Amino acid sequence: MRNFVIAYAVLVALPVAGLLGVLRHGRALTAPISVDGVWRLQADAAQLAKLPCGKSLASAENPAFTISQSGTNFALEFARGLKSVTSGTISGTALQATLSPSGVGSGDAQCSADRRFFLAATVDPDAKPRSLVGTLALSDCPSCMPVELRATREPQPKAKRGH
Amino acid sequence: MPNLFTLVLQIAVILALCRAVGTLFRKMRQPRVVGEMFAGIILGPSVLGWIAPQASAFLFPQSSLGFLSALSQVGVVIFMFLVGLGINPKELKHQGHAAVLTSHVSITAPFVLAAVLSIYLYPKLSDDSVAFVSFALFMGAAMSITAFPVLARILTERDLLGSRLGTVAIACAAVDDVTGWCILAYIVLLIRASRIATPMWLTVGGLIAFALLMIYGVRRLLRRFEAAYRERAALSENMMALMLLLVLVSALCTEWLGLHLLFGAFLMGAIMPKEAKFVRYVLDRFETITVTLLLPLFFAFTGLRTNIALVEGREMWLYSGLIILVATVGKLGGSMVASWLTGMPLREAAGLGTLMNTRGLMELVILNIGLDVKVISPALFSMMVIMALVTTFMTTPVLELICPERILRRPVAAVTSQDVGEDLSLNSGQGSTAQA
Repeated sequence: MRNFVIAYAVLVALPVAGLLGVLRHGRALTAPISVDGVWRLQADAAQLAKLPCGKSLASAENPAFTISQSGTNFALEFARGLKSVTSGTISGTALQATLSPSGVGSGDAQCSADRRFFLAATVDPDAKPRSLVGTLALSDCPSCMPVELRATREPQPKAKRGH
Repeated sequence: MPNLFTLVLQIAVILALCRAVGTLFRKMRQPRVVGEMFAGIILGPSVLGWIAPQASAFLFPQSSLGFLSALSQVGVVIFMFLVGLGINPKELKHQGHAAVLTSHVSITAPFVLAAVLSIYLYPKLSDDSVAFVSFALFMGAAMSITAFPVLARILTERDLLGSRLGTVAIACAAVDDVTGWCILAYIVLLIRASRIATPMWLTVGGLIAFALLMIYGVRRLLRRFEAAYRERAALSENMMALMLLLVLVSALCTEWLGLHLLFGAFLMGAIMPKEAKFVRYVLDRFETITVTLLLPLFFAFTGLRTNIALVEGREMWLYSGLIILVATVGKLGGSMVASWLTGMPLREAAGLGTLMNTRGLMELVILNIGLDVKVISPALFSMMVIMALVTTFMTTPVLELICPERILRRPVAAVTSQDVGEDLSLNSGQGSTAQA
């Protein structure tokens, strides 16, 4: 019995004490800013429409995009028109992503699948609900003016019992 | 309304593929469930969505996934009831000290290592909406779980349930599962408490009251099922329907109290009468539809949520490798060292560690809960699914490699108190529940 108690203390109790230390230490860590969720887009529709592939974005009634976040990486998809080609990245409060048109061929002759858009934005971590400001630019069109955009994350509803 | 054509087509495709891949894996001496887990991944964005995105979009349109999810969740609710039914608390009480130590180390070792790994992973794979404590505790729970049903299935298929290794493994896995689910319940409460309007004390108080009511009140009433079975060696359809109804009501209660459906189903199974023939009878009645129809839907739904493309780049694969390494060292190594220190021969101890490292379906259930409550990100979910597949797949070949048949089949009677320090009269393994 004595041996069991000693073995239990060394193999179980000690690691559990270590676990408490790890949890305490971990509280000081900071994780990337949360951007996961649905974002409502506010942008100049006329400016958007001028961009190749921008018509579908500009014509949407409630333009929105969804971000699916995994740590410092994220995938972004507009409800209509664009989605990220590879993972976007988060550095501090800055977001960057390369987007390509999805569902090409909606009557826009200038819109092809190989078009690349570049989204750069800064998140305001203190705003409630969380918001961002940034620009959407065409990578291969020096003459196209970048479009300024703002977006606000839709608040995640407080769950009732049983969510 | 669901598109019935799409839903039926989905079920047909899922069943066909799961049976085919499951049969293929059986020929590779793997449990069928491992093949079915792989089949789920094949149907998701990692394989079908990558090779034939249009076919994937046709077969699994986004709008249809809610119905598939609901059906699969019903399957997991019944499955968790069967897992609880297979666990006999009385037999756990009679464990020897050696088995108690082994099972507790097999939880704490992977748990602590996972928490340490979380220090590295949290800033890279999580975000500031998740507290470090929740993240680390979830990783710990996810890595310390053992797939009790898969383990029981492997032992049954290899005729090892009566061996010393089999009895210790079954007992340890049962302890791990009960402990793991308690820890997970705490984590889910912790996370949901921050998101629901109900005060934490009310939720916890409600859950404790519910658990006490189940254990000291409902449990007595459940004996009538066993009595009815003893009278006629069968249960009427009405009795079976009532049992199913009780499972669903219990599941709804824990969900309503702010925990999760699955905990209620598991608890109802755990408090059911444990007479061996009765348990076998109930398992037989429920298993067929659950294992052949509903669980494959869960594998498919998990596969649809798993996108291995999210694990992109060397860095992400390094994280995956680390997760597999830590999970294996913690579980296999922890169980092995503890059982070896308590007197089990090294090879046999390594065999026990290998068996305990099986995660299988239980891991997928936990990971889906983690993704639902957003404590893990989609990329980390995919990495953990890969870990579950690898650790489950490796069990059979590693066991064959390190433990020859003569060691595996050493009977319980051959064990002396000198061998393992304590008596090891453990679970008879009646809970070799679902094929999963």
